[in-house]
Amino acid sequence: MMSSGAIIGQYYPTQSIVHSLDPRAKILICIIFMIVLFVGNNFYAFLVTGIFTLVCVFLSKVPLKMLIRGLRPIVFIMIFTMALHIFLTPGPTMFQIGPLKATWTGLMQGFFIGLRLIILICFTSLLTLTTSPIELTDGLEDILKPLSKIGVPAHEIAMMMTIALRFIPTLLEEADRIMKAQMSRGADFESGNIIERAKSLVPLLVPLFVSAFRRADELAMAMEARCYRGGEGRTRMRELKMRKIDFVAILATVIMSCFVIYTRIRFGPVLPPSMV
Amino acid sequence: MSIEVKNLSHIYMQGTLTEAFALTDVSFTVEDGEFIGLIGPTGSGKSTLIQHLNGLLKPTSGTVLVDGVDIWSKGVSLKEIRRKIGLVFQYPEQQVFEETVFDDIAFGPRNLGYSPEEVERSVEAARQVVGLDKELLSRSPFDLSGGQLRRVAVAGILAMNPEVLVLDEPAAGLDPKGRKEILDNIKKLHESGITVILVSHNMEDVAYFCQRILVLYDGTLIADGAPREVFTKEKLIDSIGLKPPEVTIVMRKLRQRGWSVREDVLTVEEGFEEILRCLGTKGVALI
Repeated sequence: MMSSGAIIGQYYPTQSIVHSLDPRAKILICIIFMIVLFVGNNFYAFLVTGIFTLVCVFLSKVPLKMLIRGLRPIVFIMIFTMALHIFLTPGPTMFQIGPLKATWTGLMQGFFIGLRLIILICFTSLLTLTTSPIELTDGLEDILKPLSKIGVPAHEIAMMMTIALRFIPTLLEEADRIMKAQMSRGADFESGNIIERAKSLVPLLVPLFVSAFRRADELAMAMEARCYRGGEGRTRMRELKMRKIDFVAILATVIMSCFVIYTRIRFGPVLPPSMV
Repeated sequence: MSIEVKNLSHIYMQGTLTEAFALTDVSFTVEDGEFIGLIGPTGSGKSTLIQHLNGLLKPTSGTVLVDGVDIWSKGVSLKEIRRKIGLVFQYPEQQVFEETVFDDIAFGPRNLGYSPEEVERSVEAARQVVGLDKELLSRSPFDLSGGQLRRVAVAGILAMNPEVLVLDEPAAGLDPKGRKEILDNIKKLHESGITVILVSHNMEDVAYFCQRILVLYDGTLIADGAPREVFTKEKLIDSIGLKPPEVTIVMRKLRQRGWSVREDVLTVEEGFEEILRCLGTKGVALI
């Protein structure tokens, strides 16, 4: 089955402190963390953010193996950026290939950039791994709500995301079915050059689009039949409520951020003591 | 052409948390020229089973032999298997995509590498079998009605000249007239020598058309025999949530009230004859 492949934003259902946090708190923490990660520019900052991430992973009960698997798609980007840094940063020469000069400073910078990417991916995947899509969109809606004063359709954006997420498995299933139906008519999706392959997708994409539009139409009708008319005055089945633990988590993030900012001011972009 | 299914098992998503047994140790043989009905409640594995017949799914264990050759062995062309065993999916009109009806029916034959003349010929033959008006061929399939579109889709499979035709609920969602037409077409096809496997929820249809019935329940084959044998296994049929044809139930009830009618009646005509025969022996006093 097609749907057995990797899925973006996979949810890992289990019970843990991280899972039970309010989605708004988690989104907020994620935003703070991302900013801090790019503010931090020295060894101590990476040490602290790295440990913070590991603690969160441990608390979430998500297997480390799963997170590492999530890193696979960015391996290429990481190697590429690291190579660029190693060869393009000025500094004391490590070795030279033709006109390309590898520098020690570049190596250190590349290493930190790679580390930053790894931490970033791990921490943000933790958000989707521990928060169900419904919770996530509910939280996002609440966070965007203040912006609705200046015309951002917060509820509509959240509803669109919910619907989109809801229909990913449906569309995958449908694609699988149509593909099999066309294969029964002798269609070949696997061989041929790029142009032939792209062409062979027409018998899959046309019916898929036709049915997606039909589904959208039916869904809109069904929503209207149940008097859906947008977000104004609408209540929720599960009301989100911030608890003490949510504030503790945010506080912990803020304290960590303060420390990272302090190290940036105090030490600046320096290497760990042993490497100076 | 014969199809032999041997100890077929299929497990979806094997090795993951959502692993699900779809078929367990299913074995049967389809002989040339048979008309087989495949029945079973929703989720019993009917669709999974028929997707194994033309190599869309690979068995987790077991084999599918077509004319004695394992379709998954080396050197077997799955394209050729899929030509020989035409599979019509449920709601096949959803797979239609070409600009004209003609091109859509011709999709299969063209994939098989037929020459333009051969394509023309097989489309024409398929069109006649399903009873589609000739002028519709140049129209866009998206202008047609549901019943017409269904016929276009079935014609798309027939144009590949299959020797075995497998249909998943071909009459689902059609009105009574469309239903009758499509089933009569299938009957005609069978009479012309094509082996037919019909998946259906409608017991009347299965009882009326098929010579043999396979019953799937929870991924296992629990009955295989003539309609009369299968539908009189009252307990078995009831226990899996299926219902024999209405007329069979009427006969059963009549017997419980002391009428000496036969129980293995499958069609209304037969039932009518039986009741008349019974009235003849008992006399009119009974009514």
